[in-house]
Amino acid sequence: MATRVSFENSNEIGVFAALTNGYCLTGINRSENFYSVFESELGSHIPVIHATIAGCRFVGRTTAGNRRGLLVPNTATDVELAHLRNSLPDSVVVQRIEERLSALGNIIACNDHVALVHPDVDRETEDVISDVLGVEVFRQIVGGQALVGSYCKFSNHGGMVHPRTTVEDIEELSSLLQVPLVAGTVNRGSDVLGGGLIVNDWSSFVGLDTTSTEISVIENIFRLTGSGSSSGGGQRMGQGLQSNIVTNMRSSLIDQLS
Amino acid sequence: MPVYNFKTMAPVPSASDLVDIVLTRTQRKTPTVVHPGYKITRIRNFYMRKIKFTQQTISERLTAMLSDFPRLSDIHPFYSDLCNTLYDRDHYKLALGQINTARQLVDAVARDMIRMVKYGDSLYRCKCLKRAALGRMCTILKRQRASLSYLEEVRKHMSRLPALDPNTRTLLLCGLPNVGKSSFMNKITRANVDVQPYAFTTKSLFVGHTDYRYLRWQVIDTPGILDHPLEQRNTIEMQAITALAHLTCSVLYFMDVSEQCGFSIEQQCNLFRSISPLFANKQLVVVINKIDAQPYDTLESDKRDMIERLVKEGGPNTTMLQMSNVSEVGVSSVKNHACDKLLASRVDSRVSMKKTDSVMNRLQVFYPTARDGVVREAYVPESVLRERERAAAEGGEGKKTRKSRIGYAPTKDDDDDDDEGDETPAESGDEMMVGNGGGGAGDGGRRKKTARELMWENGGPGVWAPDYREQYDLLDPEWRFDAIPQILDGKNIADYFDPDIEEKLRMLEEEEDRLQAEYEAADMERTDGHDTRLDEMETAQVAEIRERVKIARAYKDRSGGRNRPALPREIRGRIKDCHDDDAKLKADAIERRLARVGVDASSMLERGRKREREGPREKRRQSRNARGDAEMEDASSGDYDEDGGVSMKVEGDERSKSKGAIKRQRKERVESARREQSMARSHSRPREPSQIGLKDESMAKVARMVEKKGQRKWFGGSGEGDHTKSVHLVKWCNTGKKRNGTHYSR
Repeated sequence: MATRVSFENSNEIGVFAALTNGYCLTGINRSENFYSVFESELGSHIPVIHATIAGCRFVGRTTAGNRRGLLVPNTATDVELAHLRNSLPDSVVVQRIEERLSALGNIIACNDHVALVHPDVDRETEDVISDVLGVEVFRQIVGGQALVGSYCKFSNHGGMVHPRTTVEDIEELSSLLQVPLVAGTVNRGSDVLGGGLIVNDWSSFVGLDTTSTEISVIENIFRLTGSGSSSGGGQRMGQGLQSNIVTNMRSSLIDQLS
Repeated sequence: MPVYNFKTMAPVPSASDLVDIVLTRTQRKTPTVVHPGYKITRIRNFYMRKIKFTQQTISERLTAMLSDFPRLSDIHPFYSDLCNTLYDRDHYKLALGQINTARQLVDAVARDMIRMVKYGDSLYRCKCLKRAALGRMCTILKRQRASLSYLEEVRKHMSRLPALDPNTRTLLLCGLPNVGKSSFMNKITRANVDVQPYAFTTKSLFVGHTDYRYLRWQVIDTPGILDHPLEQRNTIEMQAITALAHLTCSVLYFMDVSEQCGFSIEQQCNLFRSISPLFANKQLVVVINKIDAQPYDTLESDKRDMIERLVKEGGPNTTMLQMSNVSEVGVSSVKNHACDKLLASRVDSRVSMKKTDSVMNRLQVFYPTARDGVVREAYVPESVLRERERAAAEGGEGKKTRKSRIGYAPTKDDDDDDDEGDETPAESGDEMMVGNGGGGAGDGGRRKKTARELMWENGGPGVWAPDYREQYDLLDPEWRFDAIPQILDGKNIADYFDPDIEEKLRMLEEEEDRLQAEYEAADMERTDGHDTRLDEMETAQVAEIRERVKIARAYKDRSGGRNRPALPREIRGRIKDCHDDDAKLKADAIERRLARVGVDASSMLERGRKREREGPREKRRQSRNARGDAEMEDASSGDYDEDGGVSMKVEGDERSKSKGAIKRQRKERVESARREQSMARSHSRPREPSQIGLKDESMAKVARMVEKKGQRKWFGGSGEGDHTKSVHLVKWCNTGKKRNGTHYSR
């Protein structure tokens, strides 16, 4: 089930919050409305934490992480690092990276097993990513965009990529990531998926402008309806079981998109 | 695809309003003060500007009007026909045409009158011409009274037309009056159309929207149509016909089997046949309505045959469905069926036109081919799974499914009914996802208070903020609120954050020692191979080099070196600094310098001083120029002695000449200058373009001067274009004795 959220009238909620299977970070805000959306949805399962990075509240774009670890940029202060360390469970490794491209959320897209990174990141950064997050790291671009974190989003169940990605590229990415992929949009046609979509293996949040068609696609590809078997990653889902996107939604999508 | 929005058209002022607007604007935006004493060109410009400005304002307003109103030939044929039906195409075009003509007339008037003002020879004449021009323009505008008021009415009506998109997915409801079109509209949309038990309740097109299969569908309710020839149809019916004729849509033809509407089934069938040409290429659903009053099964068999024959005649795209607005039987199935048919046909056309290729990546899910044997598990916490199971169990009893929510933190009392308004009245459970309530809503009262609730209890946003330390996940919860300084004993605490920092430090130090040892060993090896001592020769060379470097550095650093600004000679010469002994043109310095090379400069200096005494340089230069010829002669004769100085000599010379000789000399000089200026015909060249039409050089000079004067930049001061109103002091009010009366009454 996807929840529509906005942050102070902005639809780019992925900028202000980061969500993994192990924890959730939200930017600090005058009002607790944004935080409480996540708290009520996730609070009983994982820690939902107020955070800032370098005194700024766009934590979603500056951090990257998964269930095993959290990467923060070198601009994060010691106090913020201590706060994150204290708030997160011990199983999550918090690591500060010395990387020139400090918006880690924009340059890293990852789930618990694989990560795509911007082609220009340092070799050391790549090593740190693979060590801390326990993932295979691939330097890739998505739909002609180097900012993979902004233009694609995937969980262990499935993923969504930039709407201009070609069929061949999606096939290649899919076999790299080992999850089913589809091209799509959020926020009524926005291609910045990292900004409009926050997702983990069992819940998702989208910008307030997202249409019901977009939400349906998201719920299908990330398997959030709760009906499908929840164990087993995306690769388990074979060709035999056709997705709802192909069967039920095809005509609506054709009518709307072309 | 253009969006038809006629709501943005600006109101059309009435003719008299337009005149007022234009004249006021001219008065406000052009200078208002002119005096008869002004130069006539200035007065003419003043009035020409007024006329031009008025004309521009009028033509601006009229052009805006013309561009605001849609051209009937450019818009979608549906709208063009609708406008024809509602406002009469000829009348509409005529009105716009007249406005256009008026604009041209105004332009012509302004052109003529400006031409005449150019010949105005006094302020009064110019003013009269201006008055005439403005008067004629306003008369032209006043003649457009009828067109302007008509256009305003049209604009008002158009802005109230429903926002109907002719290209989107559309369901069109049609049929005889009172067969239940509007009731059906109210059932499937939230348009809230007026429903009354008499014919022609709906007098214009109404638009509503409904959701089906993730898409938004436009539903158009049309006025009832009677069965008579096209020519006899009135405006109300013609709107329905227009919609039927031009929209690509799914048509729902309503039939009242109970005949409560006052038309027999035969009449309804006849209407269907007479408008059936309009159904071509459309998806058609014949809706058998009011089956609560007259079930279709118990209908007389001949009437049933009639209807079935009708459906057969409709072609392959025609289907028949039964429904009732009262009992709501079949309402949603009619809607779904119509939508499905239209969607299928639209998708077919898209696919056949190859429009889907560009979006193929969004229609397809790409499954990975396994690249290794690794199993990549998803990770869903146990608590989530448990909650899902519980919700599924509860949902099984309660049958309460939830749509995706608008995100705000749910509170105790709104966890159930937050999106009631989103649901369309018809059952549409198939289109949305089924999910459970979030955040342990099932626990009811036991739920922990969210931060949002706490915030509102404690003063609202900006007043209350949570203590972020409450969530700390520490070994001992007691530690959470401990105050931890950032700096302790001069050391940054964060540097000691790592529990095994000591170990790491030890390893680092070891590594450093090892590296140091390695480096030293390598260094020893390298130096062993070579003799580093120098022989005497080399030592001497090194000493020499060092010495030179030292000297160069000292030279560079010395005061008065290059490290000061270099002044050009003439400027340095001008310096009157008595402490600067090196100033080039200082008499002492010159003397000293020349003495150094063995020249006695005393006489030269004396001559210079004398010259200085004679007066300012400028004067000297002028006199020299005036007597250039004589001087030249003298100079050529080589009579250039030291003591007299050149000018003195010349003066003496001239004084010695007779008057006649001086005159002759002067005349000769003038003649030679003229001869020099006038060129031989063979050497003549065309004049510069700017001088063509001027008699001679002197006239050209005058012309140049005038031109320059005109091009001079004008700074400061106030002009007639200024908006400020300064205090106007009238001479006769403010001078003279002030004995009786006031300033104002004198």
